Amino acid sequence: MKNKYVQWLFNLPYLLWLALFVIIPLLLIFYYSFIDLNGHFTLANYATYFHSGTYLKMTFNSVWYAFLVTAIALLVSYPLAYFLHQTKHKQLWLLLVILPTWINLLLKAYAFIGIFGQNGSINTFLSLLGIGPKQILFTDFSFVFVATYIEIPFMVLPIFNNMEELNPSYINASRDLGATSWQTFIKVIWPLTLPGVKAGIQAVFIPSLSLFMLTRLIGGNRVITLGTAIEEHFLTTMNWGMGSTIGVVLILAMVLIMMITGEHHRKRR
Amino acid sequence: MRKTFHWRNIYIFVMFILLYLPIFYLIGYSFSDTKTMAHFQGFTLQHYDDLFNDTRLLQIMLVTLLVALLSSLLATLIGTLGALWINRVSRSLARNTLLSLNNILMVSPDVIIGASLLIFFTCLHVQLGFWTVLLSHIAFSVPIVVLMILPKLDEMDKSMLDAAADLGANTWQTLTRVILPYLTSSILAGFFMAFTYSLDDFAVTFFVTGNGFETLSIEIYSRARQGISLEINALSGILFIFALVLVIGYYFISLHTQRKRNR
Amino acid sequence: MGKTIVELRNIVKKYDDSVILKNINIKLEEGKFYTLLGPSGCGKTTILRIIGGFIDATSGDILFNGKRINDVPTNHRQVNTVFQDYALFPHMNVFENVAFGLKLQHIPKQTIIAKVQRALKLVHLDGYQDREITALSGGQKQRIAIARAIVMKPKVLLLDEPLSALDAKLRKEMQYELRSLQQRLGITFLFVTHDQEEALAMSDEIFVINHGQVLQSGSPVSIYDEPLNHFVADFIGESNIIPGKMIKDYEVEFLGKRFECADAGMRPNEPIEVVLRPEDLDITLPQQGKIIVTVKSQLFRGDYYEIAAVDEDDNEWLIHAINPVTNNSTIGITFDPEDIHVMRFNESETDFDARLDQYEGEEREK
Repeated sequence: MKNKYVQWLFNLPYLLWLALFVIIPLLLIFYYSFIDLNGHFTLANYATYFHSGTYLKMTFNSVWYAFLVTAIALLVSYPLAYFLHQTKHKQLWLLLVILPTWINLLLKAYAFIGIFGQNGSINTFLSLLGIGPKQILFTDFSFVFVATYIEIPFMVLPIFNNMEELNPSYINASRDLGATSWQTFIKVIWPLTLPGVKAGIQAVFIPSLSLFMLTRLIGGNRVITLGTAIEEHFLTTMNWGMGSTIGVVLILAMVLIMMITGEHHRKRR
Repeated sequence: MRKTFHWRNIYIFVMFILLYLPIFYLIGYSFSDTKTMAHFQGFTLQHYDDLFNDTRLLQIMLVTLLVALLSSLLATLIGTLGALWINRVSRSLARNTLLSLNNILMVSPDVIIGASLLIFFTCLHVQLGFWTVLLSHIAFSVPIVVLMILPKLDEMDKSMLDAAADLGANTWQTLTRVILPYLTSSILAGFFMAFTYSLDDFAVTFFVTGNGFETLSIEIYSRARQGISLEINALSGILFIFALVLVIGYYFISLHTQRKRNR
Repeated sequence: MGKTIVELRNIVKKYDDSVILKNINIKLEEGKFYTLLGPSGCGKTTILRIIGGFIDATSGDILFNGKRINDVPTNHRQVNTVFQDYALFPHMNVFENVAFGLKLQHIPKQTIIAKVQRALKLVHLDGYQDREITALSGGQKQRIAIARAIVMKPKVLLLDEPLSALDAKLRKEMQYELRSLQQRLGITFLFVTHDQEEALAMSDEIFVINHGQVLQSGSPVSIYDEPLNHFVADFIGESNIIPGKMIKDYEVEFLGKRFECADAGMRPNEPIEVVLRPEDLDITLPQQGKIIVTVKSQLFRGDYYEIAAVDEDDNEWLIHAINPVTNNSTIGITFDPEDIHVMRFNESETDFDARLDQYEGEEREK
């Protein structure tokens, strides 16, 4: 019996973490979504959210941009993962894909301010061609571009790992049975790497809904994501109730995506 | 065959240029004798000089490292205990519940983590600052550590534990002499990941930092909003080298463990 | 009779509703080589794990040197185990693996080094101290696992299908080695296997187990020559099993013919089963054969031909012969009265022994 007691002593730190930093904060955000500015219980936050067109439009926009970012990232990353998988020193190449994620996100955003800026390199180049200077920074385009840039490694990683798990005999078998390269890809490789693709979508879509700092620095507040809205309600207008309500919407969106893309918990933030 | 080979390399090449261009652009201008990231001019180390004389920024860097180190150490401890626990749970319902709870913070967007922790700390009347940032970093690092350790633990040959007991080891000796040494590489990897996530975090910190306490990410954000200062470029040059060293270190650790496994 | 070192009394093991072991009674004497033999899932490994202390028996007593050890944890039992998958610690080298148990006992370092060296020598791997486990072949891992267990000087060594992962040739080699190792160490080995050949080759005594019960125990020769029932006859060695009837003592009827045999002590006209081993059957001309069969196919097994044939009633026959025969030819087979082994239905081991004593006694009186 002493053993049992010691065992639970060992579990205690993790249990405390679960309770204090996972369960209680999550419950609090649900609770706050029913609290108005004066601290009273209300359903008004949800009513506002669903009745005022601005919130719904903002949500739709946010989902649309997240979709764009995810789709482009997938389109670009799948071939990259596929090609890298075939190279000789693939682990090293993969590491080089991941390396940029270890550079602080802010610094990368900052770099694009320089590249896309009014006096930035692209505009200098455009001027030389006589087209230019154009407004690039603070446009929808720049937001989608930079967000995609940031998300690419997180899309490549799960797809690449999935390809690594793929038994090469399947491809040989497919070729042996008379399939062309294209047929092999469509009928064997793609279906078998689908779990990686789903994991990648999961890893990219949800964070894309909540990139609040990029909308400021790169999007110039032209694009408002759910993340931006939450941040503003919490830290600028101090309307925590409404912010929590949007947070709950974001959590529900997350659960929905998880359900659609299955049980893959590959990490990225 | 040769042709596809060709296209493949071009694609990889272009993608790598795209991935690294912004980073090298940033670092390149850190040597430019100008005030903005336009029209590169002359070579200078002036911006690095400014950086090393900027005591405020150096202090922030130190504090950021301190938070990363402390939070990843504690998260590694808690996460290791958590992984051991989840591994011990045999009923699939209980195990899946624990795993799902563990993964909540892994899949939650940063804003949700930040906002919910802000509410939590405010409800407890905790002064926002160093401690809240540290606790938050521990909070989001724990599940990373668990997920790095658990697969290795799950694939552990259970008869190894029987063997340890058979040879006279008690539960504690089995843990310290068999399980933990067996997990060393995963625990290290978990610590490493936690460390980098902490260094990299902006969004969660942004919510729980309050006034008067800043990490590097927050500082870069506020400076970037004010416009371009090449001191930040110099900083990114240094951080890039730092990341490079970390990555190479990580690469050799994994290469080493892999070689050991393959032999 | 040697001294009893391990005894299992009325051991029962249940998981929820399924009964894995039903009333196991086993006695192991000092210095002998025992084998638990049975098909997979028969409960033989469960018995081993109960003795090792990895699982608890639902009821019954485990005695070690006459003392009940049900509540003694694994790490305090004087038995050691060689695991099926070896269970070597992958993060330690050979020396650290073998020294693991000794280090826990806080033995001086010099003694440990000497003991490890002796153990490695016993398994013919001296000089392998610094190798990584991952750098070893299957056979070498096997030996290290044995060395790691015997270095602890157990009174009883438990071996859980230790040879199953090795290839055929290495397995044969290890059979010799295990046997000689056991004799040199003079300790009790309890060996678990599903390979009857292995069991027959190495053991002093075999326990044949099926569905959580000991069906028969005894020396390899007695089990082979006098299987108690259909299962044992079928599982140990190759056999032709034919239903028949015991007409009277020393006369049995099967395939519609009566034959002289060496068994007695049964009721007249009692239904029985007859076992004829393939190697006891001799091929002869059809007119001289006690039974006439048609050859269907034959396989060359190296030292003999294995001939499959059918008789007129479509019963299949297996015959071992030195020389090949022609396929589809008709041949006669003969056998001696003592080649016929009669098995009663549902006869227990004690009943069988009693009957054997009785009629062998009668014979002596005559």
